[in-house]
Amino acid sequence: MVFEIIDVIISGLINGSVYALMAVGLTLVYGVTKAFNFAYGSFYNMGGYFAWMLLIPVGLIGGYFSVFFVAIPVFFVVGYLLEKILISPLRKHDDWEMKVMMLTLGLSLFMDFGYQAVFGPRIKSLPGMIEGTLELGQVVLFHQDIVIFILSVGGMICFGWLLNNTRTGMAVQAVAQNPAGAKIVGIPKDFIFAATFAISTIMVGLGGILLSQKTFIDPMGSTNIMIKAWVITAFGGMGSISGSLYAAFILGMLEAFVGWHFGMIYVQIATLTLLLVTLTIRPRGLMGRE
Amino acid sequence: MSLKRMVLILCGFYCVMGIMPLFVGDTDYIMNILVMILIWAVVASCWDVIMGFAGIFSFGQVAFYVMGAYASAILSVSLDIPPVFAIMMAGVITGMLGVLVGLPCLKLAGPYIALVTFAVHMTLIPFLKGPLGRAIGSGGSQGILTIPPINLLGFAFSSEQLVPFFYLTLFLTIICTLILAFIIKSYWGTAFLALKDSENFATSLGISAFRYKLMVFAITSSITGLFGALYAHYVGMLSTKMLSMDVFTILMIMIVIGGIGKYPGVVVGAVITVTINQLLAPVGMYRPLIMGAMVVVLVLFLRDGVIGLAQKFSPLQRKLG
Repeated sequence: MVFEIIDVIISGLINGSVYALMAVGLTLVYGVTKAFNFAYGSFYNMGGYFAWMLLIPVGLIGGYFSVFFVAIPVFFVVGYLLEKILISPLRKHDDWEMKVMMLTLGLSLFMDFGYQAVFGPRIKSLPGMIEGTLELGQVVLFHQDIVIFILSVGGMICFGWLLNNTRTGMAVQAVAQNPAGAKIVGIPKDFIFAATFAISTIMVGLGGILLSQKTFIDPMGSTNIMIKAWVITAFGGMGSISGSLYAAFILGMLEAFVGWHFGMIYVQIATLTLLLVTLTIRPRGLMGRE
Repeated sequence: MSLKRMVLILCGFYCVMGIMPLFVGDTDYIMNILVMILIWAVVASCWDVIMGFAGIFSFGQVAFYVMGAYASAILSVSLDIPPVFAIMMAGVITGMLGVLVGLPCLKLAGPYIALVTFAVHMTLIPFLKGPLGRAIGSGGSQGILTIPPINLLGFAFSSEQLVPFFYLTLFLTIICTLILAFIIKSYWGTAFLALKDSENFATSLGISAFRYKLMVFAITSSITGLFGALYAHYVGMLSTKMLSMDVFTILMIMIVIGGIGKYPGVVVGAVITVTINQLLAPVGMYRPLIMGAMVVVLVLFLRDGVIGLAQKFSPLQRKLG
């Protein structure tokens, strides 16, 4: 019983760490550009399919190391171009927030069925990054889980450092705080918007590569991922990075415990109930600013 | 757009729809399309009222539609309530559920409302498929397969005889459309617009945001639920497939083609979209792909929908502003 609970906690921690990576990307893009991205889950699947394509049919040398090496620039370019082509033209008009939601929802449907058309409707599995287990007494840890945890936490620390210590990172924060003021002091606002969107694409894409090894790549699963990432962001407070960190781990744990105790079918209901209750009590989320 | 012109456009549309069965009444395929156009036109109009006029980013329109359909189906199958009463009760039930969903949305800012309403949509799927839904009679993942047709004074309006059902739908559609048109042009509609433009200023003028926002949730969800119920008794079977994303996208294309907040436009959007959707049926799994791409392209290039286009190209309209 005790060891079962420890297993559940570990699984919650690992899921939570990857969710945190994804949710931080989402909260960043909302905090800076105020664009509500409904296609986020499809970007997650893009990561999974990208890795699958490089590893299985292409057979890239170097395994996951080279996948990450190729994936980061590719995702950046994809995200940058999508923002430039699809979202920035909408920004000129005052009802653009609603239009962005509709557009990204359409984009998400397009991408999901695009994956189905290209890769077929069946789910795909990615090979594990690393084999083997680590045994601590009765608790068994998979090496893969440890690597996933380290990579996603490392990714977040690295991202936090970039945000606080580089000129671009500080420019991103400035735009988030006051877009007009940032423009006055000469920060290229449009570039920052596109770059933020691209960075969030990288984060969710990497999340997809990491978590798809544990689960499967399901062309129709993107809505669930999108909802999960959004619930974390809203629960933690949109635009608050530390809030979404806490929220991601709370949600990862909740999911693991509900799934273990009541069954997987209740996970989504529990998640959404949590969201509704939080938003009723605290409309801005856990750590959201007024 | 003035109330007169709005009613004129709608009258023209429904007159044309009304005489259609004289020409195509024998072809079940086309009659089915016409019935679906009528139903979707009202559902899309409701969405336009809540999103375009009241400015609430509700993404739960399909959810309310399905709630109405399931409510009426469960009432008539499990409790043997005559379909006519079941449909009315479904309208009341979805109206109440709409208020329930609207309550947490009152305090929330734009995108959060979209998230909460969309979350309601997403929760419905596991709820209806799972043991909770089966307990109230949703039939699990199989759905409800034997929904009785509407029976009025001994006459059954079923999908066997499409022409009588068509006129029944037309009658209900005209009533609901007129209700919506008058709401938009009445004091309520002005209050919705004022709240959308500036909530603080509207409140300072004595417009209660609480009352009008809940009201718009109640009205739109109740009418949507009513037509969902009608649909359920029309097709005779229901499953959670109705909650899939492509149904949502079809609705979204309607409102984008019609123009958000350009009221009678969505009716035109419904005609175009339902027709395109039927024409795309042969391409099978590529249909949602094309639908998704259509949303992206239309949102980018068709800013104000067909009404916007008409206003742009008619010189008279430009002068009138």
